[in-house]
Amino acid sequence: MSEFLNENPDILEENQLPTRKEDSAKDLLLGGFSNETTVKRRRLLLKIDHSLKSQVLQDIELLDKLLSIRTPPELTSDEDSLPEESEAESVTSQKNEEESELIDAQEIYDLIAHISDPEHPLSLGQLSVVNLEDIDVHDSGNQDEMAEVVIRITPTITHCSLATLIGLGIRVRLERSLPPRFRITILLKKGTHDSENQVNKQLNDKERVAAACENDQLLGVVSKMLVTCK
Amino acid sequence: MLSINLIRSLKLYKNKIWSLDFSQGILATGSTDRKIKLVSVKDDDFTLIDVLDETAHKKAIRSVAWRPHTSLLAAGSFDSTVSIWAREESAGRTFEMDLLAIIEGHENEVKGVAWSSDGYYLATCSRDKSVWIWETDENGEEYECISVLQEHSQDVKHVTWHPSEALLASSSYDDTVRIWKDYDDDWECVAVLNGHEGTVWSSDFDKTEGMLRLCSGSDDSTVRVWKYMGDDEDGQQEWVCEAILPDVHKRQVYSVTWGFNGLIASVGADGVLAIYEEMGGEWKVLAKHTLCHGVYEINVVKWLQLNGKTILATGGDDGIVNFWSLESFGKDRSKNAD
Repeated sequence: MSEFLNENPDILEENQLPTRKEDSAKDLLLGGFSNETTVKRRRLLLKIDHSLKSQVLQDIELLDKLLSIRTPPELTSDEDSLPEESEAESVTSQKNEEESELIDAQEIYDLIAHISDPEHPLSLGQLSVVNLEDIDVHDSGNQDEMAEVVIRITPTITHCSLATLIGLGIRVRLERSLPPRFRITILLKKGTHDSENQVNKQLNDKERVAAACENDQLLGVVSKMLVTCK
Repeated sequence: MLSINLIRSLKLYKNKIWSLDFSQGILATGSTDRKIKLVSVKDDDFTLIDVLDETAHKKAIRSVAWRPHTSLLAAGSFDSTVSIWAREESAGRTFEMDLLAIIEGHENEVKGVAWSSDGYYLATCSRDKSVWIWETDENGEEYECISVLQEHSQDVKHVTWHPSEALLASSSYDDTVRIWKDYDDDWECVAVLNGHEGTVWSSDFDKTEGMLRLCSGSDDSTVRVWKYMGDDEDGQQEWVCEAILPDVHKRQVYSVTWGFNGLIASVGADGVLAIYEEMGGEWKVLAKHTLCHGVYEINVVKWLQLNGKTILATGGDDGIVNFWSLESFGKDRSKNAD
């Protein structure tokens, strides 16, 4: 039964992985202030960078907004004030983000889906080893409160000896990327592995994980898995 | 309920503090960054007096322990060795410690080191599933392994000695605590404490004379109290789980300490410090403090005596050691509450 749960996963293309970028990209592209030229330009930029967080894209967007609101500025007086203004705005918005950035399952997914599988030339997202619906996050967004993330992974075969390594890769990736308020729990999805409990116990033992991270050989393998992360 | 008040906070490391021990006015700490730091604590004065040679170990320092009534320190490391440090006498008034010995034997990570109350035995434990008992001389220069105890089926996380008898308790990833006793230099397992539903991270003996009890903290988020009931015909000890302390922790309990004041304290991954008191045979939560190291986990807690006062020290993943006092909100109210 569960023996073949994820033995032959349908391989997903990178662009088939769940993402929220598409939706927000549409919003951005169809934003009310746009005209054909600005949409074209931003679409081009999106193609190059694939990220809405790109500074260039944000700056262009801001510029477009300003241009659509105002009549073209007089170059003499506004040239100086314009970049200053946008800079100041981006600094404050960054600060606000830091103060209360709620982290959700999609964000966790984006952090770990691109980790390479140790034996296939594919990512954990493509192999459906990690799935968006198997990530639970409890986060108030408050930096001074503890938050929790629970990730259930689906190894590709029930006796996959690399399950521990995959779990370790995910843990290292998250410990390096998430704010310190997060407690991370990584579990094998029920019925997906012969020695589920042993692997789970090992993956969530902070002392063993700490020791593993001082093992150069192991760390080398993990680093290789993480190279493909964006 | 009493309140737990922060007396002092010392930021010692960028990395995790795994262990701390206090003796003769000096606090020793061990961390991921391989440095052992010594802090002199006198009255309200906290001074960093020495940082031990970090090249002695190649990996994290997991455990530090002062030999009772001496200035000798043992440190166990993930690099599988144990180092022994002694105070440099010729240094005069300044406090300096030098490496006296490196003890090898364990196959991989050493997780715990502990001295017997008389200082003649050193116990060490490791991921290699074994506990080693070493005998040493007065100067602590020579170490002879007199026993290798291999009954645990998984990593041994922690070892601790009885406050006066030659009795050792070891906590393990196999979810048990084992009690070991000396029979003419032959150490034998006399009891297995079964009950925890996860790794047992640490244990500590009751300090009351004539009482043989032990508390233990586990991955299952509980703290348990065990009691010695007597010996059976085969020389095995019978221990029973006397109590599961009130449910305070939401995550792993990493460290427990049983004070001379009779109180038990526990800390863990949820950042909570809890203090329990036994009243009429029943354990109650006497005080509780959350986010003791901000959002970071707490790895170790210990009762210690400072200026005639009993206080607590905790060490966390934030690289900080915090000192805590236990105080009542107002005596009358606490009286009435009883």
